[in-house]
Amino acid sequence: MTDWLGMAASPRIPPPELKARALARAFAARRPRGWGVAAGAAAAALALALAGGAVWARRTIGALAAERARLAARVAALEDTVATFIHGPATRLVQIPVAVGGRVGSVTIFADAVRHRWLVRCDGLAPNAPDRAYQFWYLTDRGVEPAALMPMDQDQPMVMALELPAATRVRGVAMSIEPRAGSAEPRGTMLFRLAL
Amino acid sequence: MRRLKAREERALAELYDALGPWVLGLAWRILGDEAEAEEVVADVFAQVWRRIDRHDARRGALVPWVLSIARNRALDALRRRRRWWRRAERWGEARAAEGGEADPAPAPHEAAVPGWPLHREVHAALAALPEEQRRVVLLAYFEGLSHSEIARRLGEPLGTVKTRLRIAQRKLSERLQHLKDWLE
Repeated sequence: MTDWLGMAASPRIPPPELKARALARAFAARRPRGWGVAAGAAAAALALALAGGAVWARRTIGALAAERARLAARVAALEDTVATFIHGPATRLVQIPVAVGGRVGSVTIFADAVRHRWLVRCDGLAPNAPDRAYQFWYLTDRGVEPAALMPMDQDQPMVMALELPAATRVRGVAMSIEPRAGSAEPRGTMLFRLAL
Repeated sequence: MRRLKAREERALAELYDALGPWVLGLAWRILGDEAEAEEVVADVFAQVWRRIDRHDARRGALVPWVLSIARNRALDALRRRRRWWRRAERWGEARAAEGGEADPAPAPHEAAVPGWPLHREVHAALAALPEEQRRVVLLAYFEGLSHSEIARRLGEPLGTVKTRLRIAQRKLSERLQHLKDWLE
């Protein structure tokens, strides 16, 4: 019955270059002889390398395998954390547009009220000047408290998990541009200040 | 089909012209991400080329076979890559859409895509389902959710979900059984 259900999705016109990419991938995949020769050459080269420096190769492969395992574990842990936030029944989603450096980015907060943790993602924010950093603030019953320092050198999204301060209630959030080392209280340009 | 099995490269290019928009549409519907959907499209046609000998025309038409590859690839990507953030950002939209139409209204130029009448028939068959049956079908097909996951998502008993799916499948099967490939 579901054979034809895929036709329920509306068609989308592929970009012109996609056809060449799809066909190239298909036709490349059907040339086992070429790949076999390449694989054989690679295997021969590898055998020579192993013969020339078996100990070095063993150590390198071992180190790479360990690094791969470490990264895989880290990614899995991160995915679990993110999944916990997103699917948590008490998670609240807050999205804040941020205008800085002539562009508009956003800060998204997943606020987990049960675990008193936030997951914060910054998208599209302009990279900082070399001596500046974004600083995130909690607005609490005790006043403004530093939450996190986020030096941003690259034009890439940034994600971080924050523990909420103990023994006080967080009533809002703010973000400013501060010196690279951070400030004890906001002194620089305030990008947003929001009551939650 | 015959030309594909004869490994005629031009036949694959023609198949792409005919099905590319549908494969991309399906992958995009599942993934909600243009770059990922395009990656799926490239994988699908490579897989079609590699496995065309496994397709048995007596057991089913070519279009559903290609679409099933596309769906599996897209769902694999959805599960593997777990673009939680993008999905989360679309959380609200997705939830709203679950209760609405099976698919957004088409743009006018889409009607020029080969296979459009067949799309309308499948769309109409889905639209004819009662809302609660359509929802379970869409969750199962486009999100790849198991019966238990659908039950949890909708807050409905597992037995209810299974019953709705079974009834919906029967209705769709009856209504769509006359469909045939429009390809030569």
